[in-house]
Amino acid sequence: MQAQTAVNTFVHETGGWVASQLEACTRCGMCAEACHFYQGTGNPELAPVWKVELLKRAYEQRFTIIGKLKLATGIDHHVTDDNLLHWSKIVYEACTLCNKCSMVCPMGIQLGPLIHEVRTGLSAAGMVPADLMSAVHKQEAEGSPLGVTDSVYDDRLEFFEDEYEIKLPVDKKGADTLVVFSSIEIMKYPGNIAAIAKILNAAGENWTLSHAGREVVNFAFFEGDNEETVLFLKRIFDAAKDLGVKRIVVTECGHAYDAIRWTAANLMDVPEGVEITHIAHLLGELVRTGRIKLKEGMYDNGGTITFHDACKIQRRGGHIQEPRDVLHVLAPKSFKEMIPNRAEAICCGGGGGVIAIKEADPYRYAAFELKVDQLKKVGASTVVMGCSNCRLQFDDCVQHFNLDVKVAGLSQMVADALIE
Amino acid sequence: MNWLAILDFARGPFFEVALLVFIGGLAYRLMRILLLGWHFDRIKPAGSKLGGALISYLRGILIWPFIPWVRNTFSKNPVIYIAGGLFHLGLFAVIFLDAAHILAWQSLLGFGWPSLVTPIVDWLAAIAIVAMILLFINRLVNPVLKLISGPAEWLNLLFVFIPMLSGYIMAHHLFFAYEVNFSIHMLAVDILLIWIPLSRISHFMFYFFARAIHGADFGKRAVIP
Ligand code: SF4
Ligand code: SF4
Repeated sequence: MQAQTAVNTFVHETGGWVASQLEACTRCGMCAEACHFYQGTGNPELAPVWKVELLKRAYEQRFTIIGKLKLATGIDHHVTDDNLLHWSKIVYEACTLCNKCSMVCPMGIQLGPLIHEVRTGLSAAGMVPADLMSAVHKQEAEGSPLGVTDSVYDDRLEFFEDEYEIKLPVDKKGADTLVVFSSIEIMKYPGNIAAIAKILNAAGENWTLSHAGREVVNFAFFEGDNEETVLFLKRIFDAAKDLGVKRIVVTECGHAYDAIRWTAANLMDVPEGVEITHIAHLLGELVRTGRIKLKEGMYDNGGTITFHDACKIQRRGGHIQEPRDVLHVLAPKSFKEMIPNRAEAICCGGGGGVIAIKEADPYRYAAFELKVDQLKKVGASTVVMGCSNCRLQFDDCVQHFNLDVKVAGLSQMVADALIE
Repeated sequence: MNWLAILDFARGPFFEVALLVFIGGLAYRLMRILLLGWHFDRIKPAGSKLGGALISYLRGILIWPFIPWVRNTFSKNPVIYIAGGLFHLGLFAVIFLDAAHILAWQSLLGFGWPSLVTPIVDWLAAIAIVAMILLFINRLVNPVLKLISGPAEWLNLLFVFIPMLSGYIMAHHLFFAYEVNFSIHMLAVDILLIWIPLSRISHFMFYFFARAIHGADFGKRAVIP
């Protein structure tokens, strides 16, 4: 029975870390007010506390006297396959694991990571939306969920070199920095690749790309399958070891950064002495240390510019200040913050694999309504972000909602403002 | 009915049993969580976990009950913020700063401390009772709360409400003879003490775990929780 597999996985995953937080919940329901999916739809089943209900039931029934009593008296029931179906829908289609809810919960329960545990149980039971699953299989077989095979990679890079007149070093031994792009950038935002290459070259960075480690996106991490997650991470770490680099730079992808920077070391051995950082941090550092020079106020004449905090790069990644430092150089007069922002920012609604699942579209659009509101309130004519998954969501939703807002990537804005 | 005998029972053996269940039950639950196993976090931190945990505690204790409106989600459901905050404030004032309760603490612990003046405690108690009624109504009408409330959630409210209300009635010498009011109050307290380790009212203990985890997780990433 699938339900049994899921429950066993929950039980296996439940240590003090999970249990103490489940025990702390007072069932006050306040986390609901944080979740853009609940806010956008008004559907109480999308409340964060309800999303972890399955994990809580498994925990109670297995570990607590009260839970066992509840089972015996018929107040609670064993987890069924139908239950799994219901939770599969809400935790994959209507949650981006953005962890905004943890900021609102008076107990500070880390609901995002707990919902990730729910996904892990569902993935063990094979209850993953088909679209997400096929992306995972594709990444397993071809090295990328968007079909960037070795030869596609070569073709694309060659094309970028011609098109943008840039040099893209690949598999260069002895480089200091390994840059790993996401296939979203390779297939949909080639401008990002050109921009980052331009910036690194201008800064005189000794960097390289890698064939083996060409994909930073980790669809198994979306799915919650730890084994596969490790497999995909290993491709990048092996490449880093082979090339002997000192650091890995993750480009404009948020969930990937959460996986490799903030999760990997707890799942596997990571190479010693290799720093892992995000391009947002690197941009801040290059500007601060003067390794690149930017035209100050370059974007000050095109209306209000605002910054969208990507949940996995800012709130969960820690790079909140750097993009702002950069924007204060690029557009000191026209840069304006949306409210709420920084660690409390509202997520785009497309992360965590949501945008890859067709059935999730209604949820995804509903969640974005909060963003529409924010954009209108701040009067933005341009919205900048450092995550290309957010950018996919923004591009799609700007069309869907017919907004007159330009969507921009931070690296590209920086590259265009370089003083050579 | 012999209320004096009931009172003796409620203050004597029943109270002692209830206290034992309360302490033993909570100790059991604490041990169970501690022994469930904690993995060692091997992630290289970018900031201070301890600092994050401290800020998380401070924010939880200061912002939440006293200045909830600095949170951007406040306006979406102000009742629960204000009523929840005032309820806890009133509860703490009554339990720890009310003169009669300090006497009870003194007989339990062997020492006491100065009390808050009676009118203030009195008002805070009244406010807490009203807040509980608001929380009850909120739980009845809010769609999320309706979904997540089972029998235990309603019993939680009831088992806290009766000692609060009976205590208030007793302090103001309303309705019944003193020993009747006192008996009802003590019986309600005993039942509550037994109920706490069985229920989510014990969140006050796990609060410290959850807040520390939250703060450390944010602090590690160099983000203010
Ligand atoms: S992590 Fe984000 S999307 Fe998921 S329940 Fe919490 S607030 Fe909602
Ligand atoms: S806000 Fe926190 S304590 Fe309240 S229901 Fe949600 S998870 Fe539980």
